[in-house]
Amino acid sequence: MECSEFALRLDDLLDGRLHALGRKSIEEHLGRCPDCRNRHAHALAVLESVRKLTPPAAHPGFIDQALSRATRPVAPAARPKWRPVLGMALAASLVLGVALGVFLATQSEPVQAVALTIDRPETVRLMFNSAKPLKAATVSLVLPENVELVGFNGRRELSWQTDLREGGNLMQLPLVARGVTKQELVASLSHGGSSKMFRLKIEVDNPSRPGM
Amino acid sequence: MPPVFPIRRAGAAASPYRRARPAELNFEDLLRPQIEYLYRLAWRFTGSVADAEDLVQDVLIKLFPRTHELLEIERLRPWLARVLYNQYVDSVRQRSRSPIVELVSGAEGEDNPLDALPTAKDGPEENAERTGQRERILRALDRLNPEQRAVVAMHDVEGYSLEELETMLETPLGTLKSRLHRARQRLRALLPMEPFSAGERVKG
Repeated sequence: MECSEFALRLDDLLDGRLHALGRKSIEEHLGRCPDCRNRHAHALAVLESVRKLTPPAAHPGFIDQALSRATRPVAPAARPKWRPVLGMALAASLVLGVALGVFLATQSEPVQAVALTIDRPETVRLMFNSAKPLKAATVSLVLPENVELVGFNGRRELSWQTDLREGGNLMQLPLVARGVTKQELVASLSHGGSSKMFRLKIEVDNPSRPGM
Repeated sequence: MPPVFPIRRAGAAASPYRRARPAELNFEDLLRPQIEYLYRLAWRFTGSVADAEDLVQDVLIKLFPRTHELLEIERLRPWLARVLYNQYVDSVRQRSRSPIVELVSGAEGEDNPLDALPTAKDGPEENAERTGQRERILRALDRLNPEQRAVVAMHDVEGYSLEELETMLETPLGTLKSRLHRARQRLRALLPMEPFSAGERVKG
């Protein structure tokens, strides 16, 4: 057996889908090919690691509330979403923590930076820790040139109205860079005549650039 | 390994599996024992507690008006897994069409994304290493497309055979094999050997 054939049959080996003859042939190859032994060990280790991932517990009371919401006659739009902040950070390219304090201040937060690669979407997550609930706060975004919010192609300025709850509030920004930029992303949060601005420096990595 | 099961599709012709449960069972009786499983699977699809809970919630809302159909499903769990899978794929497609910026909140005591960032309180080195490895695996899974991620979750983790998935997901075996192959290949490319071989050495 050649290494290329081993690579083709690796999945069957992992899944125990080989008949005795095929298995013997693979075992013989593994016995004499250290590269394929490593490949096999790596594949097993990755598989095992994925299997061992244990889901965090659901929100306390989730089952009761989910059943109750499902059987309650409400319009879908009015249905509150389950939104504990959890797990998402693991997929985030960046999480910025911002303490809003009891009242929104007017000064800007210090600039932080995030790196993007051209044409590769990344989710940037901003965490707002609010000391009290805020109804109908307005979130505005001004995107730098060559950076888009996925799904809002060509729009540089966007805004939303939302409620902030006491504690952690997470804003997800799926961003994609279409070219280099020297500008900053500016996110502002305003409520009741006060506002707070967050500036985010976008550093764009171009994988096709010579020397990278 | 879950047993091989027959699935009766909603609206399909009458089958020997009809009326598998007493009609007096209500929606809650049927679904409550399945929710933990659905949540676990949803988390494996999404990698996020919030998204997993939303997904399960959406499925329950869709199923409630179809309680009478649920009574006719003999092996409810795999049938529900398929409904969850379809909902997951739909929701990912919908999100990619209309990406959402969402402000979400967490109550006290819930895990907080900031907690996942390294801090001075990370404690023993192995704890930090374990957290780092978990994060790396989750990030790698995030790079799979929804169909690939689902086949990894259902086959590699939950233990459904490809033949079972062929029936459950109504997807040709060859397509499932190809998805699984590409998903595993991508995971291996994204998760280099070193952290894993180190773990193996510790075990050995």
